[in-house]
Amino acid sequence: MSIQLRGVSKQFGEFAAVENIDLDVPTGTLMALLGPSGCGKTTLLRLIAGLEIPDRGEVLFDGKDATLWSIGERKVGFVFQNYALFRHMTVHENVAFGLKVKRRSERPAAAEIRKKVQNLLDLVQLGWTHDRFPGQLSGGQRQRIALARAMAVDPQVLLLDEPFGALDSQVRHELRRWLRRLHDELHFTSIIVTHDQQEAIEVADTVAVLNRGRIEQTGIPGEIYDLPSSAFVHRFLGQVNELPVRVRDGRAFIGPIDIGAAAETLKGDGEHIALIRPHEIEIGQPASNWPGTLVAVRVMGPIVRLEICADGQPIHEPLEAEISRERFDYQPFTVGQKVGVRFRRWQVYPAATLPHSNANPR
Amino acid sequence: MARRFLIGCALLFMALFLLIPLLTVFAEALAKGVAVYFAAITEPSALSAIELTLLVALVSVPLNLVFGIAAAWAIAKFNFRGKSTLITLIDLPFAVSPVIAGLMFILLFGANGWFGAFLRAHHIKVVFAVPGIVLATTFVTFPFIARELIPVMQAQGNADEETALSLGATGWQTFWRVTLPNIRWALLYGVLLCNARAMGEFGAVSVVSGRVRGVTATMPLHVEILYNDYNYTAAFAVASLLALLALLTLVGKSFLEWRQPELRRTGHARDRTARGNQ
Repeated sequence: MSIQLRGVSKQFGEFAAVENIDLDVPTGTLMALLGPSGCGKTTLLRLIAGLEIPDRGEVLFDGKDATLWSIGERKVGFVFQNYALFRHMTVHENVAFGLKVKRRSERPAAAEIRKKVQNLLDLVQLGWTHDRFPGQLSGGQRQRIALARAMAVDPQVLLLDEPFGALDSQVRHELRRWLRRLHDELHFTSIIVTHDQQEAIEVADTVAVLNRGRIEQTGIPGEIYDLPSSAFVHRFLGQVNELPVRVRDGRAFIGPIDIGAAAETLKGDGEHIALIRPHEIEIGQPASNWPGTLVAVRVMGPIVRLEICADGQPIHEPLEAEISRERFDYQPFTVGQKVGVRFRRWQVYPAATLPHSNANPR
Repeated sequence: MARRFLIGCALLFMALFLLIPLLTVFAEALAKGVAVYFAAITEPSALSAIELTLLVALVSVPLNLVFGIAAAWAIAKFNFRGKSTLITLIDLPFAVSPVIAGLMFILLFGANGWFGAFLRAHHIKVVFAVPGIVLATTFVTFPFIARELIPVMQAQGNADEETALSLGATGWQTFWRVTLPNIRWALLYGVLLCNARAMGEFGAVSVVSGRVRGVTATMPLHVEILYNDYNYTAAFAVASLLALLALLTLVGKSFLEWRQPELRRTGHARDRTARGNQ
C-alpha cells in the first residue's frame, strides 16, 4: 500500500505541530521520519495512522482519500515506544487480540488463531513466551511481541513510533537489523519515527528529515548525509565542526586559510558559517596548512578522534577530526604535537540559518 | 528508644480512640445476651432500616460507578474546555457539609422548593421518601470512584486503547477488554469506599428523610432513633452491624492494597531476571 500526504497541517492550540507536509511513501519502502524532539514526527505518524485528524490537507492510501478513515478502517499496524502490551493478558492473548475482536463472520476458528499466533511468535523468535505475561519479558522481547501483535491482523502498513527508543544500544542494534530483515521478507510499507540519525541510516530506504513541523529534506540516507540541503540537516546527521567563514573580494577564508572562490550563493563580502564533518579534516604538516596543537587523542575502535586547537581559535572550541585506525597506527599522533589542518570538504551556509538552539542533538 | 516511644504513642492512641469504642459497640450490643441482640436486629423497623440501607446502596453505588468511570475517562483521556472546572466540581460533595447537601435537596424538591409544585402535581414524592434518600446519598458519595480512577487512568495514558483500536477493536470491545481490566483494582477499591459511605451516611440523609421510623430510616438514622428512645442495647445492636460493615470494608481494602503492590513487585522482579537471562 502506498501512502501520500498532500498539504497536511495539524495544530494543537497555538502550536503548529505539522505544517503543510507533502510526502510520498511508495509501496514496500521503509521510510524513516527523522528529527529532534518536538519536530512533529510523531504527530505526522499519528496523522497517517488515523489517531489524529489533520486540520488541512489529505491523506491518501493507494490513491484513495483516507483522511477521515478511522484507525480501524486504515488497516495499519501501530507500534508504540512503550510497547503498550495489554498487561493483564498473556503473550498469546495479546497477539491473538486483533483476531479475536473480529466480527463473528470474519473471525478465524480458534484452532486457526492458535496456529497463526504460534507462527507469528516463531517469526519474532519468541515462541516459548506463549503463556508468559508481558511483565515477565525484557524490553526487547516486549517490543517484538508488540510487533507480532500488530502483524496478526495482516496490516498493509506498519507504523513504528520510536520503537527501540527505550532499549539499550546493543539490543537496539540487533532489533534494527532484525526489523530490516523482516521488512525485506514481508514487503510491508513501513514508516519508522526516530530521533536517532544512526537508526534512520541503518534501517531505512528513504529518510525524511523534519524540523519545526516541516520536511527539510527527503532522500536516501547516504545522499542526505553527503548532500544536505540545509544547515539544519547537515548538523542533524552526524557530527560537524562549525567555523565562521569570511568572504573578502570574492574569496572565502576559514581562519587564515584561503579555501577558494566563494560560492555563487555567497556573493558579497561578510561573515558566513562553514560546516565541516570530522572525517573531512585532514591532518598534515604545520608548515603548509593551518597550524594548531593536538589537545586530545581518543582511540575509538576503528576510528581515532583527534581534537585540535587551531591557532587563533578559542581554546574551548577545538576542532574535531576523525582519522582511520590504520592511518593512526601508521602515523601515530601524541597530545601536544604541532600539526597542520586542511579541509578536504566543507559546506557554507548563510550565518542567519544557524540558530544555536538547534545545536547538534548529540 | 525514640522509635519505641513513637510506636507506643501510636498504639495507645489507636486503642483509646478506635479499638475501645469499637469494642464498646459490640460489648454494649451483646450486654443483654445473644437472644436480645438478635431480637433487636430482626425487629420489623430494624429490618426495614437494613432493607432501606441496602436498597440505597444498591442504587447509588452503581449510579456512581457509571458516572465515575465516565468522568474519569473524560478527564484522563481527553482534553476539553472546562476540564479543570469539572475536576473541581467532582470534589464539591467532599467540600460541602452533608447537612448542607441535604438542605439543598429540600430546597429543590421540598413542598415549597423549586420543583415542589411540579412534583406535587404529578404525585411524586422525593423529599421525605426513598428517592430523596437515594439522591442525597448519591450526591455525597459522588467523588469516591472518580477520584480513585482519575490518577490511575491518567498514568496509563491512551496507548493501550489506541493499540486496541488499531487492531480493529470497536470502542465497546476496547472498553471491556482493555480499559476495564486495566482499572479493575482501582475501581473495586473505589466501589468499596463508595459503598461504605453510602451505607453509613447520616447528615444528608437525616435532613431529607424525615426520619419516619420503619419507613424512611436508614441504619444510621435507626440507630439514632433507638438511642434517643434510651433503647441502648438495640441501638448498639444495629450499630454493631454498621461497625461490622466497616470492618469488612477495611479487610477488603487491605486485601486489595496487598494484592496490588504484590502484582507490581513480582512483575518487576521477573522483569529483572528475564533481562538478566537474555
